[in-house]
Amino acid sequence: MTTAPQTAPTKTEPVDPVYRQIRDLVYKVSGIYKADEKLYLLADGCVRRMKLMGAKSPRDYWDHLTANPSRDGELRQLLNEITIGETCLFRSQPQLDAVRKVILPEIVVEKTKQITKRLRIWSAGCSTGEESYTLAMNMMEESERLLKGWTVEILATDLNDRSVETAKAGIYGDYALRNTTDYYKRKYFTTLDEKKLQVRPEVKKLITFSRLNLQDDSKMLFMKGMDLIFCCNVLIYFDGASKAKVVNHYYTNLNFGGYFFLGTSESLLNLNDKLHLVHFPGSIAYWKPSLSSGKL
Amino acid sequence: MTTTSFTATIQDRVSRIDTMPSIPAVFLPLLELLNLPPENVKLDEIVKLVSYDNTIAAQCLRVASSPLFGLAKTPDSIKGAVLSLGLRRVQTILLTCCLGSAFPAKNWPLEPTTFWRHSLGCAMVCRKFSEKLAAPDGDKAYMAGLLHDIGFPVNCMVFPKEFAIATANATQAQIPLDEAERATMGFSHCETGRALAEKWHLADDLIQVIAFHHTPELSESAKPLVAMVHLSDLLCRMRNMGYGYYESRKVDLANNPAWAILLQEYRALEGIDLVRFTFELDEAAGEVFNLVSTIFGASAAAGKS
Repeated sequence: MTTAPQTAPTKTEPVDPVYRQIRDLVYKVSGIYKADEKLYLLADGCVRRMKLMGAKSPRDYWDHLTANPSRDGELRQLLNEITIGETCLFRSQPQLDAVRKVILPEIVVEKTKQITKRLRIWSAGCSTGEESYTLAMNMMEESERLLKGWTVEILATDLNDRSVETAKAGIYGDYALRNTTDYYKRKYFTTLDEKKLQVRPEVKKLITFSRLNLQDDSKMLFMKGMDLIFCCNVLIYFDGASKAKVVNHYYTNLNFGGYFFLGTSESLLNLNDKLHLVHFPGSIAYWKPSLSSGKL
Repeated sequence: MTTTSFTATIQDRVSRIDTMPSIPAVFLPLLELLNLPPENVKLDEIVKLVSYDNTIAAQCLRVASSPLFGLAKTPDSIKGAVLSLGLRRVQTILLTCCLGSAFPAKNWPLEPTTFWRHSLGCAMVCRKFSEKLAAPDGDKAYMAGLLHDIGFPVNCMVFPKEFAIATANATQAQIPLDEAERATMGFSHCETGRALAEKWHLADDLIQVIAFHHTPELSESAKPLVAMVHLSDLLCRMRNMGYGYYESRKVDLANNPAWAILLQEYRALEGIDLVRFTFELDEAAGEVFNLVSTIFGASAAAGKS
């Protein structure tokens, strides 16, 4: 067996072909696809795991992922490694553009006949709140235009109590705010000290943070009437059968005409054939066809 | 203005393209060779044709060594490229290079780099589509993708004022460019592209693609190819290879009429993983951008001035 140095390739170096094999395995199991230009991120995660597992080369680590009795657990650990620390405010501008420029106008027309103008959004697996606040601020930007006279409710849930508490505090440093423009910082944050900003109370008011286990079927039944569901890098924590169950809950909880978003390099594979895969400029989502679309 | 007089105007103005710098002499003979069965095309003929134009031969070799075509080593002659890549592939590369000098990109209302990225992107997606569907002629699909929008450069040159208004309207209203063209000019790049394609005596299936890629159901003789270009065009526009402005729209490819047309011809379409296809397309986009600089660098840069 050859011994390769346990360092991750950099952006410019050619990667060991085994990493492409690992990429395909990760996609098959989780629906997460690391494109060639992001392959070094995957390799980086592999190298960290290789060190812990004592794997001597990428090929050796491949065996850990495919042949060892503990392969399922190891794959889970690797998925953890490659999705960790991806979160920040305004993580995916194309998703936000799709929501504000395409989806909201569509939902507003769809619900035009309803007496109560209410928009419900669920950030499922909200972690420390970055996505939830980003959504809240963007909805507030529309409050004098598209969403004038509308009530916006954002439900943000996570399994981890500590994450939920951190999310509620809404305090972020430079790293989490790296994509946040000065406009948003000034309008929606107060300065705590040189390095930290805190989300203003009027933004927090839109969001209800709570702990929720996505596998708790009885609680999932109470999440009905959602127009938008965001579930980024969460499904990786479930095995095939429970993943299908969670996705089915999402489907049931979405309103007709509602949309379901995953992380930017994630896909549902074949978990639900009732949701339509749709493309927006720079992003994809899953759509539960509206009653008026004739596509049910 | 009536439809008939529109058509007359288009034909009249397009016929005047003659007065503009012409396409490299090797383009049309090369394209004709592409219509022949590969066994009837002689390597020597291609090499002879290309020897008239050193710039294109050199460009072709640079392009052949791009990762998109999968060669580890740059071939040192057209003959060498043909031996490694096959005759058909080299023909399509040569045609791509020729097209770069076909349209002098000066003061276009449309950013030339953006246009070529879209055309080459669409060519690349068409070829990938063909591979996934095990369609018989991936290089024909590539040419169809490459040429589908030749009506845009025609508009830039022949109807610059009207087309400038259409692009401005499309950008402002975030609507598809062909819709804006029809609303402002009464016709679109499909009609002007068709006029040029007929003037150039392109093969019928390519004319069908150019004329009907926004309305594949209207195509008479090349429905599956037109449908494939329609879907590839949409995909490119949704993945950062559109016309350089935001199109406020949702695209449901699997429920697009073109999908059903293509499915009738290729059952393999059913099993295609569209998300992975999309991610792979993103991967190839960087390479398409590099190719555009290699092939169209000079003419694209001229248009920026």
